[in-house]
Amino acid sequence: MLKRALAIISLLLIGYWIAQGLAGVPFGQDRMLVAQYYLDHVKEQTGAVNAVTAIVVNYRGFDTLGEVTVLFIASTGVGALLWRRKKQRTAKTEGSIVLTTGTRLLVPFVMLFGAYIFIHGHLTPGGGFPGGATIATAFLLLYMAFVQYEIPHKAFEKVEGAVGVSYVLVGLIGLAIGGYFLYDWIWQDWGFGVDNIGRLLSGGFIPIIYTIIGLKVGTELSGIIDNMLKEEVSE
Amino acid sequence: MNGQYASLLIALPLIGAFFVPLIKGAGKKAVKYYLIAITAVQTGIAAWVFQQVYSTGKPIIVMAGAWRPPVGINLYIGHFAALFVLIVAAVSFMMAVFSLRAIEVEPIDKYAMLFLLLMLGATGMIATGDIFNLFVFMEITAISAYALTAYNKTGEAAEASMKYIILGGIGSSFFLIGIALIYGSLGTLNMAQIAQLAGNMNATVAQVGLALIVFGLAVEAELFPLNAWAPDAYQAAPHPITAMFSAFVVKAGLYAMARLLYLMQAVESWGSVLKLLIIMATLTVFVAEFAALRQRNVKRMIAYSSIAQIGLIALAFALGTQSGVDAGVFHMVNHAIVKALLFLAVGHVAVTLGGAEMERFEGLGKRMPLTAFAITIGAIAAVGIPLFNVFWSKLRILLAAIGADYAWAAAVVLTASVVEAVYYFRLIHTMWFTGEGERINEGLAVSLMLLFLAALVIVIGVYPDYAWSIAQKAGNDIFNVAQYIKNVPLMGVGA
Repeated sequence: MLKRALAIISLLLIGYWIAQGLAGVPFGQDRMLVAQYYLDHVKEQTGAVNAVTAIVVNYRGFDTLGEVTVLFIASTGVGALLWRRKKQRTAKTEGSIVLTTGTRLLVPFVMLFGAYIFIHGHLTPGGGFPGGATIATAFLLLYMAFVQYEIPHKAFEKVEGAVGVSYVLVGLIGLAIGGYFLYDWIWQDWGFGVDNIGRLLSGGFIPIIYTIIGLKVGTELSGIIDNMLKEEVSE
Repeated sequence: MNGQYASLLIALPLIGAFFVPLIKGAGKKAVKYYLIAITAVQTGIAAWVFQQVYSTGKPIIVMAGAWRPPVGINLYIGHFAALFVLIVAAVSFMMAVFSLRAIEVEPIDKYAMLFLLLMLGATGMIATGDIFNLFVFMEITAISAYALTAYNKTGEAAEASMKYIILGGIGSSFFLIGIALIYGSLGTLNMAQIAQLAGNMNATVAQVGLALIVFGLAVEAELFPLNAWAPDAYQAAPHPITAMFSAFVVKAGLYAMARLLYLMQAVESWGSVLKLLIIMATLTVFVAEFAALRQRNVKRMIAYSSIAQIGLIALAFALGTQSGVDAGVFHMVNHAIVKALLFLAVGHVAVTLGGAEMERFEGLGKRMPLTAFAITIGAIAAVGIPLFNVFWSKLRILLAAIGADYAWAAAVVLTASVVEAVYYFRLIHTMWFTGEGERINEGLAVSLMLLFLAALVIVIGVYPDYAWSIAQKAGNDIFNVAQYIKNVPLMGVGA
């Protein structure tokens, strides 16, 4: 009781203190310094209609590379901690026929939609991370509906590594061509799709990067699901 | 050569880590040697960057994607970053070599990836010039550290990692709120521009934002009261990883704290944040030294000692004067060397004899004389005896504290150092004057590394001038914010 009261009091104090700080940043005031620059220049400089993806992949691409790495660490960490010499699924109850048939029908659509999201990252809301998560949802569905289902690990691991390598390689090609790491050579040097803004084949290297991220996120989250659903079996 | 190639410091460990799944079929040995190769190349690049920065005296500004700051993210590799990137890479290389013998637990491919990403995270934290990017790299460091702490899969490792993950998660969220407040009030994330605009910031917002950031980073930087995870994590983590934690992961957190603190010198409420930090730092030294006194496990004892030294560095950074910052950087360098030496030697003993309890160190002087010798050098240096490197940096810190009118802090720290002498000399006594035993083969690679580090300790101890001049340049990099702003080619958005 005393503990709880003390906790509540200290939380209130911290809350009040942070609220004091927040009061110094009034809502609705124009405080755009850098943001205004992005809004004014995004189309001509990156070829993307979606300003968020242009910032995330192009202007601040370094952060996204970092976030992809964070996810990679998460999946690697789960893999390292749940590693066993022999693992198997031990689910007991088969899903009902409605569930299995429904899954069979839905999975292709979910995957198609996931791919749609990450391919159209420079045009519509979304991008690599939501697209990849959607694809992983399709695999989660398969795991939930079928007792025996397993993703092809070997292939998934290799894809995960290969797309990660290709993300860094795209950056390094930028370093070689334009002199800067993560330099958007497709847009800045080749001008590919300059008269095509707002259509699929534009946006410099954003669609390429987002395809890479989509594949990476999809395989990683599926790998985490797989690792967590399996149990050790004694030989 | 083009300075932009310094971005390889980030790109190489990343591509190295992503590539591991593709070669893991080649076997355990191959992955370990691959790890050594990548860290060796990284050390080479870091040495090149170090040579560039210190010979020209100008920082290397890496602009990702050719966007000039503040629109894009820039890396700022000045004197400090160049020095510590080199230390990070060199320590990683040594620990990769040590991993050959020390790591037998599967899966080795995952270990290699996490190892490389831990190195990447620390490098990025030290090199970046953007506060949100700092957060991203901090997460990379922290999450690989969580996974590596639990890597041995014992019960105590899982518990240690759990503590760390919860505290670290809370710390990161505080840090993120702090960033949001600063971004909300200034509209920019670039460190140089923040420093430029900090003067006209609302005092309350600045105080809350800065305090939240300091609190968030204090988890990574192991300051009291947020360091409860550290001794457990140090004890439970694989031996090479413990050395990396102590030699550079903590340092990256401390540096980030100092950098952000000095960037916002111009805000009105700056002094009160410094006072908070001084109290935290003094308590860290005091509590950790007394906790170390009672430990029966040598690895844990040195972990506490490491935390105490970190408190000392934090104290130096919190003084708010040029001499304090210089002394802090000097101590960071010395501490990185000494603690890499100690954790390497203790880990080596634990691998060879199967544990790091005090009993196993009895008669070590007869069984593993070289390792015992290295531990002795490290212990004497850590206490701060003249003619060893830590003496000079401790002295500078104490002088700086007195110079900044914090004589009470200096007194507390000095008292704690006496305690440090007690437990280190107890360890030395146990090693040389008790127990019996046969000679054990110590292994060439580890012996060479131990000798190299011990030699470094003594060389810096006898000729401190060169190392001190490097530390002064690096300290100036943190303290002299006007110069920092001038060095970053801001494109004048909004300002």
